[in-house]
Amino acid sequence: MGQDFFEKNTNNGSGSTHTNNWAVLVCSSRYWFNYRHMANALGMFVPSWRYRHFVTNLLCKPRYRTVKRLGIPDSNIILMLADDASCNSRNKFPGSVYANPGRHLDLYGDNIEVDYRGYEVTVENFIRVMTGRLMVILVETFIDEEIGRHDPSVPRSKRLLSDERSNVLVYMTGHGGNEFLKFQDNEEISAFDIADAFEQMYQKKRYNEMFFMIDTCQANTLFSKLYSPNIFAAGSSGLDESSYSHTNDNDIGVAVIDAFTHYVLEFMEKINKTSQVSMQELLLCGVGFDLPIKYYQMVWGSGRRAAASAHDKPDSHYHFDSIDPAKINSNPGYRYDLFKRPMDKTLITDFFGGVARVEVNPPTVSSTEPLYVDELDDGAELHVNKSVTSKHAHEESDQTVSRLLFWLHSPESKRTRAWASIGLIGALIGWVLAK
Amino acid sequence: MEKTDQEQVAPEQQLTGAKKILSKLKQLVRPTGNVHEQRLRRKMKLTSLITRRLTLIKTAMFVIGYLWMVLLPVPQLGRGTFVDENALQPGQVNTQWNWGDVHAADLYLGQLEQMRDVNYTSERRAEWFKEQFSKLGISASTQNYHFQTSAANMTGTNAYAVISSPRNPGAEAMVISASWLSIIDEGAGTVNIRGVSMILALAGFLKRYSYWGKDIVLVISDGYLDGMQAWLSAYHTPSQSGLTADRLEIPSGVIWTALNIDYPGHSFSHLGVFFEGLNGRLPNQDLFNSLNRIARYTAGVPVVLYDHLDPREDSAADVSFSRVPSFLYNIQFVKSYLYQARNVLRHFGYQYNGRGSGVHGLFHQFRIDAITLFAVPATGPHGFHALGRTIESTLRTMNNLLERLHASFFFYILKEPTWFLQIGLYLPSAILISAAMMFHGLSIWVDAGWMKDDRSKSNEKSLSKETPAPEPEWKRRQRPVLDVLSIMAATHVVGLILFGIISSRLFISNYKNLGQPLFSILTTAPVMIIMPLASQQMFRKDVARRATILKAFNLCFASTVISIITVLNFSLAALLAILLGVPLVMSSSSLQTELPIRMIKYTAYAFIGLGWLLFAQTQMAQAIWDWQILSVWFAPFVCIVYAPLVLQAGISCLI
Repeated sequence: MGQDFFEKNTNNGSGSTHTNNWAVLVCSSRYWFNYRHMANALGMFVPSWRYRHFVTNLLCKPRYRTVKRLGIPDSNIILMLADDASCNSRNKFPGSVYANPGRHLDLYGDNIEVDYRGYEVTVENFIRVMTGRLMVILVETFIDEEIGRHDPSVPRSKRLLSDERSNVLVYMTGHGGNEFLKFQDNEEISAFDIADAFEQMYQKKRYNEMFFMIDTCQANTLFSKLYSPNIFAAGSSGLDESSYSHTNDNDIGVAVIDAFTHYVLEFMEKINKTSQVSMQELLLCGVGFDLPIKYYQMVWGSGRRAAASAHDKPDSHYHFDSIDPAKINSNPGYRYDLFKRPMDKTLITDFFGGVARVEVNPPTVSSTEPLYVDELDDGAELHVNKSVTSKHAHEESDQTVSRLLFWLHSPESKRTRAWASIGLIGALIGWVLAK
Repeated sequence: MEKTDQEQVAPEQQLTGAKKILSKLKQLVRPTGNVHEQRLRRKMKLTSLITRRLTLIKTAMFVIGYLWMVLLPVPQLGRGTFVDENALQPGQVNTQWNWGDVHAADLYLGQLEQMRDVNYTSERRAEWFKEQFSKLGISASTQNYHFQTSAANMTGTNAYAVISSPRNPGAEAMVISASWLSIIDEGAGTVNIRGVSMILALAGFLKRYSYWGKDIVLVISDGYLDGMQAWLSAYHTPSQSGLTADRLEIPSGVIWTALNIDYPGHSFSHLGVFFEGLNGRLPNQDLFNSLNRIARYTAGVPVVLYDHLDPREDSAADVSFSRVPSFLYNIQFVKSYLYQARNVLRHFGYQYNGRGSGVHGLFHQFRIDAITLFAVPATGPHGFHALGRTIESTLRTMNNLLERLHASFFFYILKEPTWFLQIGLYLPSAILISAAMMFHGLSIWVDAGWMKDDRSKSNEKSLSKETPAPEPEWKRRQRPVLDVLSIMAATHVVGLILFGIISSRLFISNYKNLGQPLFSILTTAPVMIIMPLASQQMFRKDVARRATILKAFNLCFASTVISIITVLNFSLAALLAILLGVPLVMSSSSLQTELPIRMIKYTAYAFIGLGWLLFAQTQMAQAIWDWQILSVWFAPFVCIVYAPLVLQAGISCLI
């Protein structure tokens, strides 16, 4: 019963089992005329800002800070920007990056922490960040666990320190083509590279669930090779399609944001930390998603609808038009076959919102004891396991204590205590009555 | 019964027919027997096919080539212009140039008008410009220069200023320039007065902004072409003979793009663009296309080529030529054709002599993409305001560049501001003519190596007269290559001497008097030298005639020259194809023609080759000036390559 109670509280009813959120936001292209890609990535950085209406922007500052405090913390966001548009000599507004004409919100303004900048943004570094092999030290004397760990000299802010209970958002933008994304001006990451990196992450238990979003030309081809479980992917355009920019600022003189990202962010405006909007509403609007096919183009708009007319639902399902192919001139696509949870139960905040949840596990020390018995004959392994388990046990007891302490201060515990005292009083009354 | 028989036979025949085709196809794909032999046979078959129809092929190539040239202005031919370079982002900025800046330009204009009226010296003028730049807080300087060649003796002073890039090291630069003399009548004396005031006003305006990723170099050059040539030479420090110029005191970066402003009138209706550079070079089309877009959509000024208004858009320009009947002119196709033909011919006129169409052309020799903005004089409606906005936005676009312009076209013929011919659509015309000349020359060369054997003929006669068409027996014969090559070399040496003479101070100083005697000497000398030699020649049947071989070599050489020139300077190549193509083929080497006729032919060639000594003396002097001051190779080319080629054809008529 206690277990049920905890599950009900920790999962927000969405069925997600994650306890923390991470985000890797990558802008892979250089140069001044790719300003919009930097703005895309920076826009994603704080996904719930209001950036369209001036009036709402008057309220923006406090809201922005709140969101940032309650959302994914900076330390959990790896931001990779291949160029520095804010400091480009052509920037009329030095030190600022804007994503909307009229320049209402400076994306670069408050406390932006770019973890990888300029020429640090390479395919290799991206893969190393994802797989946690920032500096591989293969020293034979290290025990297995140490292999593949970060070089201690790499600061924490540059590492993706996720675990098997982390929900990871990966957002990439840049110039791409069929199954590749260009990095800087000299190399590409292929769809296979991404798929293999994610598989390594899965094997190394670096994520619980992953949301892979990409805005580039022929974006949907980039997630076509994924094969690891629990990944949901969305892209801005299909094979042989270009992704287009959304709008220009005539003082900056270049396009400031891409269409797909713009509409995603505009949709995100409606989301706050406690919102219960599902991923289905963001990306699968109006299309039944229990289709037997693997992945397909989204089919909105008059011209495109025929393709999915069989799965069309009444117009009430089009209640928002966050990503309309007619508006962005490309067919955004998604892929959910690797994902286990139902889309309508998966919340947007599962990936975009920052959650630091505490989970209380029943003591598990007893469950590890049979290990000793099972593997007695193997001396070496026994030794390793012994050290590991004892370390684990030690850590876990530490953790349990800290978790309990934390839990005692949480509002949930207050409620629990209230119920417990009511129960106690009830029991006392019952006992008195029974007497 | 019969019927059924037939029915049975027919399919069989069909079957055999199909089989035949199949086996033939099989043989084609996978030949049996000796593969090498078959290949050789195939080759021979092809060769004989071509040689049998050679005359037809040659004629067809000539006709198509010339027809193609005539069809170049057909409005349907070509494609629309487009901006290719991603970084440019033309016309996407709000312009800040306002009426206050226009007022500043007007104030400068007033002062300049005074200076013009009291006839300031170049030096004083340049000092004044420098002072104005310095008042704005921009580092400025002047540069004295002096050209001393046989054709020119010019002195002047340039003024220039550098606005350093505020947030960049200034490794690259862009230039805005105005020459003191306007492009009108190619620097005849109209002062580019508003163009210069524009530069001064722009200096104050551009300095206010911090987003320049490149240095901006403002140049007010003296004279028309000479000032800028001296400035550019000093900037890029190549040593030019005949020029003494001050070193430039203020350094800047590599220049990628340049805009030259020419605004001589009171106001303007259209912005004309001049783009042809020295020696047939053209700027990257992206620069022109960006400007076109910006002028139209940012400043609302229509862009035209040169000062040619489009008769389909402007009623003022919609005037029929006197030779074209109005009913014909009013057909849309004819009107478009004539308009485009006018643009193409103007382009040819600027390109063939390598002189380019203005000050911008001087930049091209240093691989700087540059164009001239010419404010086509009119009573309105545009003025400093529209021009300033266009320049500001174009500079923002040039500022966006990350590397030199490279994406768009370097070879093109602009027929309209938004319509152009790619290289593939105009190059073949000259190439076809050149190839036809080559074919003709080769066929003459091959034919010269064979002769009919007389003995076999006499045998035939004695044997039987009934033999219907006895195959003539062919024998090889010698071809006097060395003689002919020395004649050719001699003509080119004569050309070299000719060039030496006409570029000498003595000749240039009174070319009007000396042109005629030089022409007579040059045309009669070969006759005097060659004729006695020719009469000495033994008419031997077993040696090919020198005239024939000379013609063959002459044609092959001319063809090669034209083919090479097509990519360097298409207009010149087209002109050569017209002047050399048919005339060189027509040169005869037969002995049957009477001497007077041959002499007349020779004289005609002499006029084609050297007639410019009599009829185009000013152009000749101009070409010499271009060679000495701007290193335009048109004059030496005409003397050393073109005239000797025509003389060779003439000589082949004599010997």
